[in-house]
Amino acid sequence: MAKVLEGPGMGLMKKWGIHVPHYAVVTSADELSKLGQVNEWMKQTKLVAKAHEALGSRFKLGLVKVGLDLSGAVAATKEMIGRQVGSITISQVIVSEMVPHKDEYYCAVKSTREGVEILVANCGGIEVESNWERVKRLCLDVGQAPSTEKLEKLAKEAGFTGPVAKKMADFAEKMFACFDHEDAQYLEVNPVVTRESDGELIALDAVTLLDGDAKFRHPDWNFQFAAEFGRAYSRDEVEVMGVDSKIKGSVKFIEIPGGDTAMLPAGGGASVYYSDAVVARGGKLANYAEYSGDPPDWAVEVLTEKVCSLPGIKNIIVGGAIANFTDVKKTFGGIINGFRKAKSDGKLKGVKIWVRRGGPREKEGLDAMRALKDEGFDIHVFDRNTPLTDIVDKALQK
Amino acid sequence: MSILANKDTHVVIQGGAAGVNAARRMAEFCYLIKRPLNVEAFVYPPDAGKTNEIPYGSGLIAIPIYKTIAEATKNHPTINTSLVYIGADRAMKGAMEALDDSHIKVVSMITEGVPEKDAKLLGAHARKLGKVFNGPSSIGIISAGACRLGVIGGAFDNLVLSKLYREGSFGVITKSGGLSNEIIWICSQFADGITTAIGIGGDAYPGTDYVSYLEMFEHDPQTKAVVIVGEMGGDLEERAAEWYGAKKRRIKLIGVVSGFCQESLPKGMKFGHAGAKEGMKGEGSARSKSEALKKSGALVPETFGALGPAIKDTYQGFLKSGLVKEIIEPVSLPRLPKTVEEAMKADEVVVAPLIRTTISDDRGDEPCYDGYPASELINKGYEIPHVIGLLWDKRLISKQEAEIIKRIMMLSADHGPCVSGAYATILAACAGIGLSQAVAAGLIMIGPRFGGAVTDAGRWFKYAVDNNMKVDEFLAYMKKHVGPVPGIGHRVKSLRNPDKRVKELVGYVKSLQIKTPCLDFALAVEQVTAVKKDNLILNVDGTMAAVLVDMGFPVDSLNGFFILSRTIGLIGHWVDQKRQDSRLIRLFDYLVNYAAPKRREVPPLK
Repeated sequence: MAKVLEGPGMGLMKKWGIHVPHYAVVTSADELSKLGQVNEWMKQTKLVAKAHEALGSRFKLGLVKVGLDLSGAVAATKEMIGRQVGSITISQVIVSEMVPHKDEYYCAVKSTREGVEILVANCGGIEVESNWERVKRLCLDVGQAPSTEKLEKLAKEAGFTGPVAKKMADFAEKMFACFDHEDAQYLEVNPVVTRESDGELIALDAVTLLDGDAKFRHPDWNFQFAAEFGRAYSRDEVEVMGVDSKIKGSVKFIEIPGGDTAMLPAGGGASVYYSDAVVARGGKLANYAEYSGDPPDWAVEVLTEKVCSLPGIKNIIVGGAIANFTDVKKTFGGIINGFRKAKSDGKLKGVKIWVRRGGPREKEGLDAMRALKDEGFDIHVFDRNTPLTDIVDKALQK
Repeated sequence: MSILANKDTHVVIQGGAAGVNAARRMAEFCYLIKRPLNVEAFVYPPDAGKTNEIPYGSGLIAIPIYKTIAEATKNHPTINTSLVYIGADRAMKGAMEALDDSHIKVVSMITEGVPEKDAKLLGAHARKLGKVFNGPSSIGIISAGACRLGVIGGAFDNLVLSKLYREGSFGVITKSGGLSNEIIWICSQFADGITTAIGIGGDAYPGTDYVSYLEMFEHDPQTKAVVIVGEMGGDLEERAAEWYGAKKRRIKLIGVVSGFCQESLPKGMKFGHAGAKEGMKGEGSARSKSEALKKSGALVPETFGALGPAIKDTYQGFLKSGLVKEIIEPVSLPRLPKTVEEAMKADEVVVAPLIRTTISDDRGDEPCYDGYPASELINKGYEIPHVIGLLWDKRLISKQEAEIIKRIMMLSADHGPCVSGAYATILAACAGIGLSQAVAAGLIMIGPRFGGAVTDAGRWFKYAVDNNMKVDEFLAYMKKHVGPVPGIGHRVKSLRNPDKRVKELVGYVKSLQIKTPCLDFALAVEQVTAVKKDNLILNVDGTMAAVLVDMGFPVDSLNGFFILSRTIGLIGHWVDQKRQDSRLIRLFDYLVNYAAPKRREVPPLK
């Protein structure tokens, strides 16, 4: 899944006829001042300014300011841009129109195994969480579109009456159209509100998760995907993603600050079992990483360097199952080069390395790893006869 | 027995290179179990009408390539299974085509990165038709001793180590390609091996679920237990648990689920597989899946490491109850013939090389000239003459020598359009001939009368110097045994109209104050011959030859200096004619002396 920030998410909704407040994403206070000169709404309505980054708890961090006039929004933008929050620097602010409203509703569309589920509730905002039973659902098989009647029935079930029921049904229909045409996996608007000026339903917020795999049929997806875990990607993570996008096979890397056990396993499935084993043994993961699909050795080398650069690590787990066709000798060659580079850069002091692997050219690969001992590495190498995650037990035994 | 794939499975592979690779792996397995190749056809429109050659043992089998599934199944009506290796953007269309063909009952998609909606549509379509759509992102399906679909099982050695040549008692279903091999291996080491192993793919919504396969395994008497390897995300494991717990089942279920680490990791973190992500509000967590499996009566080891012993216990139980008997392994198995490359890598074969080279090697990441990497030469300031030195004389020449060669090249790069070589290239260019052929036409003009005397001049000057000959003695020898002295004489230049190029070169070399025995000798010869006739001067060929011999270049390489430098000019002439869009040249009648017999009558044929 690929998370999309609010700005481009709203853009997609607008494309499918959903009313959204006026908004603009800016990268500087100057840009906002200039936009203010040509956009009437910026002068006429109260504004909201939010840091436009993949950050959790923006309210708490003071990165959401409401009830501003244009000069207030410019000042808020100036204050937010360039602010350092953890590993990320705020580079964008989304400024949008404040829409005065009374009632708040909820609408979402999500992917299910069979197809799609449309969710509607006659309450919105934080009220939804505590009143989850008020959320009504319409399930659709894949390839099926909801009929107007069914949507109206759904709205009525959710407690909408009169003309609002029709409007809510119409809103849900547009949400579905956006979801379906844009290859979304999850769309949520919370709250949906009635605009006082014209009585239209309007999306005040947008949570948009798209299917990154469908990018090939969406040439207009001109935005970057955002990290999904409440912080932006670090520079090293972005660098590994860059490598990943260029190669056959894959390399993945996510940092987990504060850990002491670094992961460098092979395979999307095995890597999780290795992570589990670390946690089960009371270890603290320093990262999640994985390479698979017989990636070129230079890509594995880049990944290795990033793993070796993790601060405060004590063990590196070079785990892996019996590969189908990933060349163990070649990929280990990349890892060995990465280790050597890290060592010559003064890293890996006091770090123990644990290796377990099988597959094509396993003997040559494991022998090459074993030979690192002679170069002064604290390395422990095991073959397919050692059960998969036993190296974690050995590494973490007190 | 087995499920999904057996000895009656006949396959069409949709896709290019990756599909061919899979066919090779499948052929290796067929060879191991002594069955004919189960791949009947490929569908790959760009190569339709051709064949792909798949090695089988030490032979090759030609498998036809078709444009459409319909063509493939029409020509090979036994086909009942399709493997999809088409890129993600076209995979759905290809798989739909296969599902809609009445011959095909199973479609397994190996393609990764297929949009979720496409996969769901394919799954729904297959269910509607009562067919199986396995995948996407599936490593394949393998039935021990019967059939391999895709690359599951790994390399040949691993197939043997994992005893895939004969049936065992354990079914395997995994989301992970890498782990499928691990589980197959564990089943073969801790128990008697597998019946069928299926990779259902790591996507969020694969076309099938554990239940559909558990149902099939339940009906396969050979399968006594099934191992499922799950992960967090989705609800496939819970559904499997529900199925298992619903009533008494014949098969034993053993399951492991990964993703417990997520309890102590940042929320929303994505793992290797697209499907491996905890759902909203905690559903789909490893713990809930694991609990569900345990509650249903499945055997759920606490860790992945405990899976082996759990499988072993289960197998021992089967043995004790008499449900299975110990399998006696065959004494010998077919061995896959090695390719020459593999055999060489394993030091098992010596190949007599066909050619031998001593100057360059391009097997690394860049060419090495006489051992020196090209980029290093460039970055350390070496120039083209040094490359000539390395490739023609296998030595790193000095800066001074490089300067001499540079001057030789510059002086002989071109000499106008009228010389035979340039004229030939121009003529060819005007006839519309391509660059390399036109330049070659010019180069073949190089011979005893044009630029081709360098080698011979060098040879004889060297002969004279090596034998301490006097000039008179040399001229007499040449007259008697060789003929005119190569390197002496010019068609237009003479003593009164000296060749500036020669003067320049001689002047420079002399200014260096180095030993030049051949050049000195050549100049001494000129002293004598020019007196006899004033155009019998040392020409540029002779000068180059003498200087290069003095530098130690092999005599046989000397013409190369002229060929190389004049090629610069010849290319220039060809480009020049092209640029002008020159028309075809035809000689005018008046430039020809028609000395042939006058027109006469042809006599009758006798």
